[in-house]
Amino acid sequence: MIGGRRPLRGRKPGDRRVRVERPHSAYFRYTGPGQLTAKVAASEPTTRVGRAWARVRRVLFGRQLSNEEEAFERLPKKLALPIFSSDAISSSAYATEEILRVLVIGGASAVIFSIPVAIAIVVMLAIVSTSYRQVCRAYPSGGGAYVVARQNISPVAGLVAAAALLIDYVMTVAVSTASAVAQVYSVVPQLYDLRIEIAIVSIALITVGNLRGLREAGLVFASPTYLFLGLALVMISLGFLRIVTGTAPDLPPPPDAVPFGTAPATGILLIILFLRSFAGGSVALTGVEAIANGVPAFKPPEAKNAANTMTAMAILLGALFIGITVIADVFRILPTREGGQTVVAQVAAAVFGDGSILFIAFQAATALILFLAVNTSFNAFPRLAAILAKDGFMPRQFSFRGDRLAFSWGIVLLATVAGALLILFGGDVHALIPLYSVGVFVCFTLSQAGMVRHWRNARDAGWWWRALVNAGGGVLTFVVLCVVVSMKFLDGAWLVVVLVPTLVAMMLFIHRQYASSTQQLALRPEQIISPPHRAERVVIPISGLSRAVVQAVNVGRSISGDVRAVLVSDEPEVADQVRDEWERRIPGVPLIVVESPYRALTGPLIAYLDVLDGAWPPDQEAPITFVVIPEYVARHWWERILYNQSTHSFRTALIGRPNTVVTQVPYRREDPAQFERHPEPQPGAVD
Amino acid sequence: MALNGATIDRLVLAYAAALAKPSKADLIALHVVEIDWTLPLDASVAGLSEEAQRVLDVAEAHAERLGLHVEPLLLKARDVGAAIVDEAAAQEADVLVLGLPYRTRFGGDFVIGTTVPYVFKNAPCTVWVVREPMPQEGA
Repeated sequence: MIGGRRPLRGRKPGDRRVRVERPHSAYFRYTGPGQLTAKVAASEPTTRVGRAWARVRRVLFGRQLSNEEEAFERLPKKLALPIFSSDAISSSAYATEEILRVLVIGGASAVIFSIPVAIAIVVMLAIVSTSYRQVCRAYPSGGGAYVVARQNISPVAGLVAAAALLIDYVMTVAVSTASAVAQVYSVVPQLYDLRIEIAIVSIALITVGNLRGLREAGLVFASPTYLFLGLALVMISLGFLRIVTGTAPDLPPPPDAVPFGTAPATGILLIILFLRSFAGGSVALTGVEAIANGVPAFKPPEAKNAANTMTAMAILLGALFIGITVIADVFRILPTREGGQTVVAQVAAAVFGDGSILFIAFQAATALILFLAVNTSFNAFPRLAAILAKDGFMPRQFSFRGDRLAFSWGIVLLATVAGALLILFGGDVHALIPLYSVGVFVCFTLSQAGMVRHWRNARDAGWWWRALVNAGGGVLTFVVLCVVVSMKFLDGAWLVVVLVPTLVAMMLFIHRQYASSTQQLALRPEQIISPPHRAERVVIPISGLSRAVVQAVNVGRSISGDVRAVLVSDEPEVADQVRDEWERRIPGVPLIVVESPYRALTGPLIAYLDVLDGAWPPDQEAPITFVVIPEYVARHWWERILYNQSTHSFRTALIGRPNTVVTQVPYRREDPAQFERHPEPQPGAVD
Repeated sequence: MALNGATIDRLVLAYAAALAKPSKADLIALHVVEIDWTLPLDASVAGLSEEAQRVLDVAEAHAERLGLHVEPLLLKARDVGAAIVDEAAAQEADVLVLGLPYRTRFGGDFVIGTTVPYVFKNAPCTVWVVREPMPQEGA
């Protein structure tokens, strides 16, 4: 309503104007008929502690951002490649090592199988990336395994994929951080003892960065990937040059190398070793799906650009992986015990020279790209959790965005679980790897199976060969999944096998809870809400007569004419005194004294309410009972200890009681003014 | 700048912003609600309040997106032109920016009305009138 102050005079006689106050403008903005939008001031805390905490948050996480400030950025291919591929490409830093660690068990003769194993993995990479090209084209809005499996197979299959993806993202953070730290202590071995601390600090930093709303876009994030790619390709080229020219060094095994197995592996044992090394090296495929998930972030034509970027990524990853494996094999590089140089660091040291600037630059770039891979998960995990929360499979808090538009709950959960895993596994990459691949291959398999159903239903031109490509990918990834689970089961894969169904069961439980509460709270479609016609009565529990009680009585009187106060007392004399004073000061409001010889307060009050309900005529609809509780507002933390104890127990006991509404009437110390005696107006006095 | 809640307000704001930004001048967004002579000037005018406040709130939000701060000012007066001029004098404004909307009705034309001429004649400062593009210009 436009009010107004006294008119201001204009320059000409008769011109008047009134400046209208805008009391809403500090906190709100009118944005439509009957619609207000809150400004940042509306959500600012009012207490001293709240303001101090808000200042701390502002320093740590930055100022609050409004929804309008969310930046939508479309990426060209040259930026999308490093941003979406850092997870996949960075896995070349540890995949070769995982193969060699298994093969050394079979002796020196088994190690030569590292190249065939790597070739087998690259063939699989080619098939999986070709399959995911189809996903890019079929789901231009982003085809995460969860979406594809849920839409095409079943909601439960979608949840299995989601659970596997969540585990995959957590493992990406743990494994990539551990591997990044391993690259650091490959250069500075003295830092080995501080590996857990370094890993936790780096996760904490990236968590704060993401809570501030860090995005993966921009040259800052693209340049480390290109630096790694450039240096790795130079390293592989130089290594191959030395192999071709016959100048490859015959390096002595490092002193802390993992010893060869005592008996050379043959027959079945060799096949098992081959399969185990294949299962270990298949971590090279982790992160391949990231591009298919992020198709909407590409510049148009999104699907085509994403598919081509996928191919480029697969070629680069394959080249790096094969290159590093071949050089490691020819140079006779062996994995070291925990705390020694990583295989990729040994390759770099052999090619560039140990301690050279190029070696240190390569190690730094490797550590950086691994940290970038961590950030990929920090973007993807909270988004997936938010989608699941919106679909009702995770607590709704995961879909709430924080001050900086980031899904804070998801970010904090991811950091906490990944940090705990790092501590639990002592920051050992090799110990963490068995948990990693299972989730990834579950996602691959479900995604490919979903795509087969998608093509069958869509029946577009050429659907059958597209379905065939995805079916081939699905079968292969399923076989690999079986190999990975069987070969790594005892090493830790069992944990994922247990975790996936547990997570699915948990999500289904949450969904059922939300669905049942929604059903219970829903209105019938045809229902028109008319004014209430039920009787109302007010019960005011009191402990004596005070200003707080008077306020509660006044509130009660404004609700209903049927108001009564109830005093539960174990001291009859005191109760009599209160009654005398009550009847004198508050006539018209009956006081019921409930004597409580067993000194309980809450029980007799609830019992009295039950008796009141029981006395209501059974042929009439039960009345709504408003329990109006006077409450003294504590101004200090210690006042909360001193006051309102019985108030809290009344409120707790009454929550959920049928036909009962609990109303708290706060009494502030600032309120006494209304109880003070107002001076009688003097005759002739003017306002 | 004087705003009237029409689409021209965005242009008025853009020009005023372009003027104010280099010199970091204060920007005051003014909206005047004309009160009929049958009502007292300080009368509550139901129905107009939200709409009038919204004119300024929309301008304030748009200015924020441009990285500017505007001081919104809502006035009630008998005559819009006189109120704009008097407020400009009271605020010691250097420039007044007004919009002239294009009316598409009756074949389309600029109806200059009484406010713009009044402000031209009586404003204590420079006056800019931003003309809304005609449909064929905007196309």
